[in-house]
Amino acid sequence: MELLTALAVGALFGIAIFQILRRNVIRSVIGLILLGNAINLFLLSAGVYNGTVAAYTTLAGPYSDALPQALVLTAIVISMGALALTLALLIIVSARYKTSDLDDITGLRY
Amino acid sequence: MLYLPLLFIFTAAGVAAAFWLVPRQRTWPMPRVAALTAAAPLAAFISLLRLVPAITRGETLVWRIEWVHELNLAFSLFVDGLSLLFALIVSGIGVLVLVYAGYYFQGDKQNHARFLTWLLLFMGCMLGLVLAGDVITLFIFWEGTSITSFLLVAYKSKDEAARRGGLQALLITGGGGIALLAGLLLVTHVAGSSDFGVILQSGAALRSSSLYPAMVLLVALGAFTKSAQAPAHIWLPRAMTAPTPASAFLHSATMVKAGVFLLARLNPTLGGTDLWFYLLTSVGLITMLTGAYLGLKQHDLKALLAYSTISQLGVMVAMIGQGVEIAYKALVISVLAHALYKSALFMVAGIVDHETGTRDLRRLGGLRTTMPISFVVAAVAGLSMAGLPPLFGFLAKETLLATTTHPGLPQWLNFVSAGIAVLAGALMLAQAGLLVWDTFLGRPRDATIRAHEAPAGMWLAPAIPAGLSLLLGLAPEPQIVVQALAKAAAAAYGDKVKVSLALWTGLNVPLLLSIVAISLGLAIFAARGQVRGWLLHNGEGWSWQRVYEGGLVAVDRLAFWATRLQNGYLRRYLGVMLGTLLLLLLAAVMAGQTPLLTLDRLLVLPRFDFAGELALLRVLGLVMVVGTALATLVLKRDLAAIIALSALGLGVALLMALEPAPDVALVQVVVDILSTVILVLAITRLPRAERHRAQNLTFAQSRGGLLRDGLIAGGLGAVVALITLSLLSTRPRVSAVTPFYAANAKPLTGARDIVGAIVVDFRGFDTLIEISVFALAGLGVYTLLRYAAKTANDRVANPPPAQARWLSTRGIGRQPTSAFVQGLAYVMLPLAMMIALTHIIYGHDQPGDGFTAGVIISLAVAFWYVVFGYEQTKQRLSWLKPRPLIGAGITLALVQAFASWWVNAAFFSPLDAGARLGLPLPYGFTLSASLVFEVAICLTVLGSASLVLDTLGHPADFEKD
Repeated sequence: MELLTALAVGALFGIAIFQILRRNVIRSVIGLILLGNAINLFLLSAGVYNGTVAAYTTLAGPYSDALPQALVLTAIVISMGALALTLALLIIVSARYKTSDLDDITGLRY
Repeated sequence: MLYLPLLFIFTAAGVAAAFWLVPRQRTWPMPRVAALTAAAPLAAFISLLRLVPAITRGETLVWRIEWVHELNLAFSLFVDGLSLLFALIVSGIGVLVLVYAGYYFQGDKQNHARFLTWLLLFMGCMLGLVLAGDVITLFIFWEGTSITSFLLVAYKSKDEAARRGGLQALLITGGGGIALLAGLLLVTHVAGSSDFGVILQSGAALRSSSLYPAMVLLVALGAFTKSAQAPAHIWLPRAMTAPTPASAFLHSATMVKAGVFLLARLNPTLGGTDLWFYLLTSVGLITMLTGAYLGLKQHDLKALLAYSTISQLGVMVAMIGQGVEIAYKALVISVLAHALYKSALFMVAGIVDHETGTRDLRRLGGLRTTMPISFVVAAVAGLSMAGLPPLFGFLAKETLLATTTHPGLPQWLNFVSAGIAVLAGALMLAQAGLLVWDTFLGRPRDATIRAHEAPAGMWLAPAIPAGLSLLLGLAPEPQIVVQALAKAAAAAYGDKVKVSLALWTGLNVPLLLSIVAISLGLAIFAARGQVRGWLLHNGEGWSWQRVYEGGLVAVDRLAFWATRLQNGYLRRYLGVMLGTLLLLLLAAVMAGQTPLLTLDRLLVLPRFDFAGELALLRVLGLVMVVGTALATLVLKRDLAAIIALSALGLGVALLMALEPAPDVALVQVVVDILSTVILVLAITRLPRAERHRAQNLTFAQSRGGLLRDGLIAGGLGAVVALITLSLLSTRPRVSAVTPFYAANAKPLTGARDIVGAIVVDFRGFDTLIEISVFALAGLGVYTLLRYAAKTANDRVANPPPAQARWLSTRGIGRQPTSAFVQGLAYVMLPLAMMIALTHIIYGHDQPGDGFTAGVIISLAVAFWYVVFGYEQTKQRLSWLKPRPLIGAGITLALVQAFASWWVNAAFFSPLDAGARLGLPLPYGFTLSASLVFEVAICLTVLGSASLVLDTLGHPADFEKD
């Protein structure tokens, strides 16, 4: 099971990177969201306990690690904010350059 | 009160700054401003003089204040004979130079108080440098002198040569400064302290350290560049573009002596080894000869002075390396003699320039009749420079020659260094002759020059050091001077040094050599026309200056080529960064820095242990996640890809629920849905034609490009998979942190949900910052699309909401919506609010929290935007005011945080008001501070999310019907 999880996280990460490198801006945003999901799964896997019950003091049994969960919870909400801001930037940029193709935006050229 | 001299001078710098920064003070005449500020170095000089008795008694004085306690860093001052000698020279000549500068700039229409400011700042740094009691203190002042000298050299900033000269000085001395810092840090590391008191006691440890060669070379590099030792001497002649008062101060008596001072300061602890001896001797002797030789071909008075300074600096460096008692006597006498005559000569050169308008030896001549006083001053100082009796310079040369013939040195070296010293002495005499004779004697070469004597304030300044040169030579060994010099030499030597200032020491080898040098010098001077002609004819060719200039050109070219690599394609930049990251990771893995690629781990066969009844579900979740991820890639239409992405989020939520992490899974579900809505809303704001064009570009790339991206992505994915595998299979089962949270969640915060307790209680401050970030993201979206776009006149700018009385009920994209769906929307909003309230109240014990609550309400609001469209939603949900909501949320969180501070004396501490007041509450309900915080989180999230929806949901202009 560990191997499968690891492969899935790796696959998710790889696909995310590939998407980020696309010319279509919408695909790169999709890549960013994918990346966020991959990282959240990765963070959860950093938990030290292989728990079988949720981390509640009223439950008995080995808890799953609460700390990475709290971090991931924060990360999920923040990434939604970041997504919104990214989209706003993207709308502005694509309006100014009149394109949704990243290769048309070469303002940093020397 | 060792800090007083520094205090005086830096205060005066501030006063001088007022004379060009405050408009009303700009009208003060320069001599008055200069005289006023010259009071500071005078006061410093006097307060330093008062230290002389203590120093001659053999005391060392220390003053320190703690700076960074944790690093054991102190700002400290330290005065012994060596510091005092240099400090007296700096402050004493400082007074004269300031007065001189006032007259030098008199009559100029421009305001030159700025020059005085830089000069005083430099003076303060220089004084700090020689008084520093700690290497870090020393280094700070060292860099200060580099920077202020740049400002002074490039003072005439409209002149390109001045700018180049300043830059060259800064690049060379600044580069040396970096080496010096490294060297000093090595010294500090080995000695165990940055304090000079400790460093001077740890000579044995330093010299036996394996780092010793590195520290010597680095420190020497810093000192050599600062003190213009060959081949770094090239900056000094170019720095003559500085106004003459600055040259008289920096390039004769102070700045260029900083390197000499540092070497002398460290000589007792770093010196005495072969490396030290040969390094300093060879560099010093070469510099001595280089300066003396190159100086002879100059036409410019100041250039001539610069080269003779280089030669003298070479003498001093060579003396420090000798390691025999008499060398340090020669050192201190040279330092003092050179400071006196060279500053005088520089100031006279300035007078000549000022009164005649030129410094070119080919045009000057015969000035003795029109400028008699200046002539006398120049003659006295020039004789001292030439090393003729009865001046102080003669004594300097005598002790130098005595050192070179010292029997304690290797015999072959006696011959070499005595020969070089004689030759250099002869050339110096010829240079001094050029300076004085060809300027003041002979016939005027240029009839157009109408010279007249300078004002008294101007010639008095050089007259004093020139007079002292004579006085010290003639006076019968004033005891206080002898003792002070002896203490300075002792500090540089590390042991007692006997100093006498008697000119006549009997007929001996040094005297004979001196006679040889003088005769040779006179011969060269007599034949100066031929010699200079020959030198000028043969001297052009290869030089270190060309190497420096070539270096600058090379750096420019490199920068040009490096910027050519900027192709502007953002994706390629990203590809390069990610590719580099991949290579670094691979290198780390290969180097065995991370225990990822160990063979035993790779060879373990995958175990499909479906322990637990949920394992199958987990496999399903993983398959779903990977499948949908692939779908986002291969699906052609963007909208389809977004739907796949949404499904992926749900798959991730499933995996989280199986972890089991119910709180996270819950948030993931609602956030995933809201993100999808936001994403769809956003892409509708991109013009359809562009979207369609971009849609076809997913794989529109050269085969090589696709392969490259694939390799980067695949490689990074593989590395992440490896790291994940190692994390999962080597879980340590022991956590340093989590048990604390698990054990204390209930007793401290009254929460049964440990994750919730961490988020809102234990790490509440993080969460406060987090909701602030979220709020800022919402406000950022609003600002970008509503204001930035409007000012830039972009077509995406949101027009104000329509004010029509009747609005068609049309959903997103102007599509009509059915009555059933509209009814659903009506029901969902209050329902969502009820659910949110439940989450807030029971969130502490059950899955769910303020985030979930906020997002759930936002989801219902989003549904309204989808079903009713922008205008109607705005009209009907008029109570929903995003920005006040955000404000209320953050304020409430802060109120709660400060309230618990008030009660528990700790910011954001847990506070169970229900239990504290003994209120009878229903099961599972706690009236705690975290409840308030949950409400605050919910309000902030709702506010920010609805602000985003409001901004992105606004129909773009081009979609208006």
